[in-house]
Amino acid sequence: MSAAALNVVNVTKRFGGLAAIADVTLEVPDGSLTALIGPNGAGKTTLFNLITNLFPPTAGDIYFYGTPLNRLSPGHIAALGLIRTFQTARVFPGMTVLENVLVGAHRHTRRHTVEQMLWLASARGEEKKLTAKADAFLDMTGLSRFRDDAATDLPMGAQKLLEVARALMARPRLLLLDEPAAGLNDSETGELASLLRAVRTSGVTVMVVEHNMSLVMGVADQVTVLDAGYLVASGSPQEIRRNARVIEAYVGPEAAV
Amino acid sequence: MTAIIVGGLLQGSVFAIVALGFALVFRVTGVINLSQGAFCVVGALSMYTLQQTLGWPAALAALGAVVGTTLFGAALGTATFVPALARLPHSSMLMLTAGLLTLIEGLVLVVWGSDPYDLPSFSGEAPVDILGVRVATQGLWIAGTAAIVIIALWYLLARTMMGRQLRACAENPLAARLMGIDVPRMTLLSFAMAAMIGAIGGIVVAPITSLQFDSGQFFTIFGFIAVAIGGMGSFIGAVVGGLVLGVGEQLAAGYVSSLFSNGLAVILLLVTLLFRPSGLFTTVARRQDVRDEQRVHLPILRFSGRDGLAYGAVAVALLLALPWLVPESSGLLGSLVITGILFIGVLGLDVLMGYAGQVSLGQAGFMAVGGYTAAILAVTYGWPPLLGTFAGIVLSLLCALVLSLATMRLRGVYLALATLAFGLLIDSLAVGMMDTTGGPSGLVGIPSFSIGPWSFASPTSMYYLVLALIIALVLLLLGGLRSGFGRALKAIRTDQTAAVALGIKVPRYKVAAFAISAALASLSGSLFAFHFHFLSPEMVSTSRSFEMITMLVIGGEGTLVGSLIGVALLTLLPEIFQPFALYKRLAEGALLVIAFQYLPAGIYGSLAGWLSRLSLGRRAPPSLVLSKDQTG
Repeated sequence: MSAAALNVVNVTKRFGGLAAIADVTLEVPDGSLTALIGPNGAGKTTLFNLITNLFPPTAGDIYFYGTPLNRLSPGHIAALGLIRTFQTARVFPGMTVLENVLVGAHRHTRRHTVEQMLWLASARGEEKKLTAKADAFLDMTGLSRFRDDAATDLPMGAQKLLEVARALMARPRLLLLDEPAAGLNDSETGELASLLRAVRTSGVTVMVVEHNMSLVMGVADQVTVLDAGYLVASGSPQEIRRNARVIEAYVGPEAAV
Repeated sequence: MTAIIVGGLLQGSVFAIVALGFALVFRVTGVINLSQGAFCVVGALSMYTLQQTLGWPAALAALGAVVGTTLFGAALGTATFVPALARLPHSSMLMLTAGLLTLIEGLVLVVWGSDPYDLPSFSGEAPVDILGVRVATQGLWIAGTAAIVIIALWYLLARTMMGRQLRACAENPLAARLMGIDVPRMTLLSFAMAAMIGAIGGIVVAPITSLQFDSGQFFTIFGFIAVAIGGMGSFIGAVVGGLVLGVGEQLAAGYVSSLFSNGLAVILLLVTLLFRPSGLFTTVARRQDVRDEQRVHLPILRFSGRDGLAYGAVAVALLLALPWLVPESSGLLGSLVITGILFIGVLGLDVLMGYAGQVSLGQAGFMAVGGYTAAILAVTYGWPPLLGTFAGIVLSLLCALVLSLATMRLRGVYLALATLAFGLLIDSLAVGMMDTTGGPSGLVGIPSFSIGPWSFASPTSMYYLVLALIIALVLLLLGGLRSGFGRALKAIRTDQTAAVALGIKVPRYKVAAFAISAALASLSGSLFAFHFHFLSPEMVSTSRSFEMITMLVIGGEGTLVGSLIGVALLTLLPEIFQPFALYKRLAEGALLVIAFQYLPAGIYGSLAGWLSRLSLGRRAPPSLVLSKDQTG
């Protein structure tokens, strides 16, 4: 396998007779920011669910840095460093914003629970370090002022950002973001764009499902277009902008003439 | 043999009637209504009063009792079940109905006392001869009634408009509401109809089984095992499950021992849960997802480090001084010890329920394992109490491991059922193994707790031992739960999918929480035995499991220390006000129901919320800072 972060090879998913994903092959290069776009019902979220194995593909293989994911549980896949967010923000209720971010640290918490139970200095020290890191991510996402509020009290846009912060806290190798801009206003979307660039600069490979074209065209290195389960196009933002089939998928066949 | 089977079928008809009530409410609301069996008792005892005390003719008395119980059920449903369904997740609804069961039992205790009641047979005592077997005529009444209830229910659901509306609520409550169906009305209707079915069952069975205030549990448990075997929400399944259970029970009673007949029922349930969790007759799977959107969600309570330390220190100082504050002669110190011992068990329950969000209806089962293991080792084999206590914990952990591995595939309500079955199984073992456990009358001659040469025979020494244990346990759990472990549990409780997506290994954490709760319950059970110098199955029965849930919920779930308030309230109040003892069960049930509806974080939650607002008032309130930020 190449050094690609993610390889999706001839993946098909049928729900009954309907193919939600039809023979899709795509590659997310290491260190890139890849956008996945397409009209409603194109199968974007389904593809994310297949990658994280929330349900298995009907056919085809998925590789994460060369490791086949088909047989691994969602938890195992996350443990490998493939972290996702959800289309509707899934923050943990009953926990503060800070605690929500700290849950993200789960994957790389080293100190054993027994050490925590005995209130050992080493364990408390690790907790302090994690908290400092979580605070840094809250700063980065502009959520610091909500730090000790109940996560569910946040406006929807802030909850989506909180999910991103929580995912970053998990130190992902590949981050899958499902419509992070949904529910954000224009200025927040602008902040999200710089956040995404900063994340990519820090060395995390990002794959993002997004409807907001200006955001996608502004930040992505590579854009993949899905329509009705089929991969219609893939290339740089400039290439996609000119692609007739993409315009057809988005605007309709008549307008494409 | 034929006699046993005929007897079993008749017995099974009763289970089937109760099971139909379960199936009806489950079909319409997706909730397992544990209060179902209590309506049998209310129906039968109402009939007793109308017929025996007021002298009404039998038919009129039966009608009056059924109508009365149905109205009672409707009133209770309006006040509790229907409004709660709109707000609570299913796991809480399950416990709410356990509260209703306790509440009705308490009510019956207050109205009718604790005596058992019998009704006369409907048509004389002379048995008739069927297939060479002598059958009491009442048996025919039971079988006939079961058949009529089944046919009537089938006709109602399959052939009438109301039936279609009821089924629509079952299928998808949201869509049903959008189609103009009054879902709360249908919910109430199903609840009241289930009460009616229960009353009918109770009335026809009362002439052959004497009923008392707490017989409702028996009907609930067996009716419920019947539906679980037959398949939740399937009416045919409920009937078949009831009959299978009746025959199985009679066979076990006839060939093994009546002491083990309950055990067989539970084993049937466990086997069904393990191999066919959805039961023998699976209906179309209910769309649980539609309503489960409302997630379990506790308010956030947090003291600043300084405040927490101060309050903690005050509490510990108070607890240390308590033995000097209570009069020596009152025996109150003994009650305080019991409070402390039960709190240890409830502490474990809090880790499992309050943090990991798993419902256990069998916490007292682990108390029994710990209590009996330590007591038997001490009494029969002369082991030192400390060693016996450890042995009990090891055995409990083993049971917890087996149970959680076996139930790994089960979720939500089925896990709760498996724990219920476990508690019942242990209970029936304690009752049945006469030679080892002393049977129903209990195990006597248990020594006081001792560690090496130090014996904790006096209430004062036992009090300080328990207090020291509690402080140590609370500190250990607090340390663990305020770190990654606690966050992982809370994440699992509220959103399992999101937790998995962050790499949290859900099964591992669930097993860990279960193990902690089992170990603490076991410890609590051992101390219980050493404190009373006596242990009977009744002391660690399923009623105790329900009571511990009540204590936890009214004290405050997910707060560790909060449940102490609940334990103290329910242990000390009946002790201080003796006349209250009669009302204890009623109060327990009522408190649980009220706490679920009005005190989501329990008494502690309300108290802590008030305290933290108080301390916030002293400093700059963060909400003010926030609003400045937003304007700037």
